Amino acid sequence: MRYLNLAQGSLIILGAYGTLFLFHLDVDPFASLPAIGFALFLLGAALFKASFGRLITFPEPGRIKNSLLISFGLMLLIDSLATLLWTGDERSITPGYSGWTFEAFGFRFPLIGCVGVLSALVVIAALHLFLAKTYFGKSITAVSQDHEAASLMGVNVSFTCLVSFAISVGLASVPAVLIGLKSFSPTVGILWFNKGIVVVMLSGIGNIYGVFPAGLFLGVMEAISVYLFGAPYREVTGLVVFVLVMVLFPKGLFKRQEL
Amino acid sequence: MKGKTSFSFAVAVLLFAVLPAVIRSEYMLNLFLMYFLYVIIAQSWNLLGGFTGQVSLGHSAFFGTGAVVTRLLWTSGVPIAPSLIAGGLGAAILAAIVGIPCLRMRSAYFPIGTLALAMIAQITVGNLFPVPGSLSSAYLADYSTLSRYYVALLGAALTVAVVYWIVHSRAGLALVGIRDDEAAAEAMGVRTFRYKVLALMVSSLLVGLGGGIFAYHQVSYYYYAPFELSWSFLPTLTTFIGGLGTIAGPILGAACFLGLSEVFAISLGEVHIVVFAFTFVLVVLFVPGGLMSVSTKVRGVTTKVMRRITG
Repeated sequence: MRYLNLAQGSLIILGAYGTLFLFHLDVDPFASLPAIGFALFLLGAALFKASFGRLITFPEPGRIKNSLLISFGLMLLIDSLATLLWTGDERSITPGYSGWTFEAFGFRFPLIGCVGVLSALVVIAALHLFLAKTYFGKSITAVSQDHEAASLMGVNVSFTCLVSFAISVGLASVPAVLIGLKSFSPTVGILWFNKGIVVVMLSGIGNIYGVFPAGLFLGVMEAISVYLFGAPYREVTGLVVFVLVMVLFPKGLFKRQEL
Repeated sequence: MKGKTSFSFAVAVLLFAVLPAVIRSEYMLNLFLMYFLYVIIAQSWNLLGGFTGQVSLGHSAFFGTGAVVTRLLWTSGVPIAPSLIAGGLGAAILAAIVGIPCLRMRSAYFPIGTLALAMIAQITVGNLFPVPGSLSSAYLADYSTLSRYYVALLGAALTVAVVYWIVHSRAGLALVGIRDDEAAAEAMGVRTFRYKVLALMVSSLLVGLGGGIFAYHQVSYYYYAPFELSWSFLPTLTTFIGGLGTIAGPILGAACFLGLSEVFAISLGEVHIVVFAFTFVLVVLFVPGGLMSVSTKVRGVTTKVMRRITG
């Protein structure tokens, strides 16, 4: 949709705090997913209405840059508000099953990790069905390809932008729950944003099918770098991959739309 | 500089130069020193982000490089002046090596690419130098805040003067042309990439100098401290709020930022960031010219009102 949301990681962390809050009220993290998702969806809609939506009238290059700047401000805002509200302490949601593992094919698998992989597949499949099969999904694709032409064909561009932005923020609830089950603090949002942008860069912007292999690739690269250089350089790996791809393949590894 | 501007610039520098004779409080001196540092960081960022339109979120990498180079040279016995220059040059060299590839990135990728660089630098330096660098007793014996104050003042004056000079030269026209319409500038025969590199390297040189002053001022700090991302966010926030692409904007914005952080420092840690981030979003959305444009508007309105009154 040609909006760059730098605050996505911070919104994920916000969702994780929400999950933690519900967990203290004895709600299971996975059961709270719909509620967190809906809350984030509304928050995304409100954020779009209040800020990003005003950029629709901007010309294309200015729109991306300004959405980046706005979300940069929002990221700082959310992070420091979270620090004020919940302190900078590292938190974790620990239901009874958080350490469970099961054995299959002679390996031991952590339960939550497997749920993470499954949920990623479910989200990708759902997104694919939504974009390819529903009328509204098609109008999202149309607006992202050429919003003027879409508008001439009778698509309500600003509403489409609003809903797709809200969906994107609402989907942050899935990583929010999964990250909540690991550990989080107000400052790690940007690290998760980084992973997101690296994966999207690798798979190509606007290509939802490449995300899974790209994510797998980043995960393997991180694991190898931890083995070779030690754990502190884990975050550096993804960033170096990102910069190298940007410099060596300015047009992207796979098909990428022009930004 | 033109007559009036250079006169007020000289008066301001002179006032700051005699200030320590009036104000003896160590706290106030340190506060003004931080202000000069903020001006250096914000104004050097402004050359690249404000006048050339290349919004960088990686300024901390160059600030930190200047700090590391200066600190290591200075504490190993090199006099401070050459160490500072080496710090600036070190930052400019880093800019040439890693920044130039970043400049090849299109529009919105440049901020993210530079942010990635800043994070790489921060994590790597944090791992390479895990212990804080403290000054030895010999250095502590002749430590004086006053000498740091003057070095910082000199740095700030130099930064403002250099940026002013570049912006008002032929190169400045090219930079503004790139910001307003890169394709058109290129079509007019401006070697856009060369000018972007020039802006990046001068900007890094100046902020590296600022990093050196930071290293000269701090008695003890972790080497990764000047690499922290907040040093990248600071110039972006202050310059936007003060007035993007104006000489006075960053100077004004830095004063607001420092003042606000001092007011809230006593009560709660991060309130000033909340206020500033919120203002930043509002400025991007509604007042693209920042405080500077507000003051021009207010001046316009008051002259109109005055004319109406005087008939």
